[in-house]
Order: sequence, then structure tokens, then C-alpha cells
Amino acid sequence: MKHCLIVDDSRVVRTVAGRIVKDLSFSVSEAADGAQALEQCRKEMPDAILLDWNMPVMNGLEFLRALRREENGSDPVVVFCTNENDSEHIGEAIRAGANEYIMKPFDADIIESKFAEVGLV
Amino acid sequence: MQESTFNELSDLALRLSGQHIAASKAYLLEARLSTISRRENLATLDDLVHCLKARPNPRFEQEVAAALSSKKTSFFEARDLIEKVVTQALPERLKQSKNGRLRIWCAGVSTGQEAWSLAIRLSEEMGSTLARADIEIVGTDLSTDCIETAKQGVYGHFDVQKGLSIHRLMTNFNRRDNGDWVVNEALHKNVNFRRHNLLDSARDLGAFDIILCCNVLGALAPSAQRQAVETLSAQLLPDAYLFAAPDEALEGISSVIKPSRALRGAFERDTTVKKTAAA
Repeated sequence: MKHCLIVDDSRVVRTVAGRIVKDLSFSVSEAADGAQALEQCRKEMPDAILLDWNMPVMNGLEFLRALRREENGSDPVVVFCTNENDSEHIGEAIRAGANEYIMKPFDADIIESKFAEVGLV
Repeated sequence: MQESTFNELSDLALRLSGQHIAASKAYLLEARLSTISRRENLATLDDLVHCLKARPNPRFEQEVAAALSSKKTSFFEARDLIEKVVTQALPERLKQSKNGRLRIWCAGVSTGQEAWSLAIRLSEEMGSTLARADIEIVGTDLSTDCIETAKQGVYGHFDVQKGLSIHRLMTNFNRRDNGDWVVNEALHKNVNFRRHNLLDSARDLGAFDIILCCNVLGALAPSAQRQAVETLSAQLLPDAYLFAAPDEALEGISSVIKPSRALRGAFERDTTVKKTAAA
């Protein structure tokens, strides 16, 4: 079973996204900010990361840049999932190493479609 | 909804669009007609049918029939089929083309995503033999509203996130201030949309190298399926390809088409039938 780490400072978003991702046959773990997520990744790299942008302590973009510098940090498929919906943010995320980008609000079809785009399902 | 209301609406759909609406799908009618009902200030479908009968108006009837036949589509819904068209069918047709001009008809295109998906995929073929081809895509649908949406190429937040990768979205669309996304001007160059009813002749549209008719025929009554396939077949150039969605069967609908020997999954006009009919 593939493992997805959901990184978002909103517990509600983590819960909703977690249910959707579990329905896609992933095991799920959660982190409330980039620093927590990085700590988890250093212990065990997930197959996929669903990543919010604006979070306390370490935001999604800072986390992604740090992740890609880690040993095996290029392995996880990173899908941003954020309210930052303008072209500049999307471009910045892709340049930093994001594989896909979900604009909030999202639904189950969007997550499934985006995971399919990057070969996760 | 009264039973007589369902009967009136299903009769209207069958007569004007060939669509067969099973009684088990009656629940769909409210949703499909909600926009018209709201606009006309009609509280129920019973009121809508009363209005149709009290003020007979062919345009209004057509609008209701089109709304009843509406289908929800998404970008790259028939992804494998689009790949087959781009990597096999079009190169094959290009070999046979004298002037490098190829035409594709997306029949029953609803709000246009299939046609735009093809245009997007073709724009990615810059290095292939197709780059030298002049390829026109024509999308048609029964619904004037759907065709207007398709022409404008404006899609909402949820639409552009289903079937489109972020790369394709960023490359082929521009974001508007209200959060909608509009297809790039460059893609509009070879894509046209027109209203057309598959039960009518399509002679005005001209002849095509490839016709796609996805998720349309299955909703039609058998006699309308036959009529639609004959309409489509009549616009196929010699050895040109007709495709339905991968899970739709074209076999047995009409003898005017037969499976293509050159391309698996495609159909072509059966010229022997034409000769027999002409003899």
C-alpha cells in the first residue's frame, strides 16, 4: 500500500483529504506544518505528499525546497493543495519541484484526477 | 412530478433529439431542466410542461430537448482515444492526404472539452509529422448554450482540475480575475463550434477524416442511433475513421459502417452498402 503524507494546518482539511486519499487505497499520515512534515520524511519518505502552502513554522514552499535537498527527497510525488490559485504561485511551486497542483476548494474527483496525472493511481 | 409530465418530456426528447429517457432516470429531469425552470419562473416540471403546451414555441421546445440531452464532460475524458487519434489515425490520414489538410468532427461535444483536449494534445506534436498538417477541429452539439460555452472556452475552477495536468492548464489557459480559466487564443485558430442535431443531415459541415462521437449514441433510442450513425457515416471521407467511446458499441447499429481493418477500434464507411443501395 502506498503512503501519503497530508500536510495542512487545518485539521478539517487533513481529515477530509485523508478520507479521500484512503479511498484511493493509500495509508495516510498527517503533519500540521512543514517542519513536522520534514521530520516525518526524514524517518520515512512517503510515496506522495499533499501539501498546503500557507502554514505556521515552515510553509509549504520552504518545506518542498528543503525536502528536495534531502537524501531520497526527490522520490515523493508532491501535490500542492492550496488557496494560492494565481499563475505566479503555481509557477513558483513547479519550479521548486512540485509535481502537481490542486487549487482549493477541492473534491474527491479532483484529487483522484491529479493523482492519476502523476501516476499515483 | 406527475407521470403525465414525465411522459410529455420523454416524448419531447425522443421526438427532437432521439434521446430515450428511461422511467428510472426520471430523477435526472429536475436537475437538467433547473436552469430553464428558474429562468422562466416555473416552480415545478408540471408547470414547465403546462407552459410548453399552452404556448407552443419550437425554439423553446428545442431548448428543453437540448437541456434534457445534456451530458457532463471533462478534459481528456477519453484519453486513450485521443492518443489513438493523434498517434495513429491522424498520421495515417496525413499519409493519404494530398494537401496536408485534415478535418476532425467531435459530434455531441457538449461544452467543448473533447475538442479542446484534442487541440491541446495536437499542440504538443510540434516535432512530429503532424506539425506540417493543417488540422481543423469542428465541435457540434444540440444545445445552443453548450456550444456558446464551448466557443468561449471559459471553464470554472472545478472543470479545469479534472483531466488537465497543471502543466497543460498553465500552457493552454489564462486565469481570469473571477477564478475562471479561458482557453488561449492560439488554440482557437483551428477549432470551431456549431449547433447541430445528429438526427439532421450534416452536409453543411463538409467531409471529415476523423469523427468522434463519444457518450452520445448510448442515450439514443435504437432508431435514432441508426439515424445518427448514418448522418455521421455520410460525412466520412473514403477510408476515414469513426470512433465512439471505448465502452460504447457501434456494431450492429447500422450496416453503413463496418470495423476498420486498418485501425483497431475504429469504424469506416461500408462502401459495399453504398454500392448496393445505388445499384
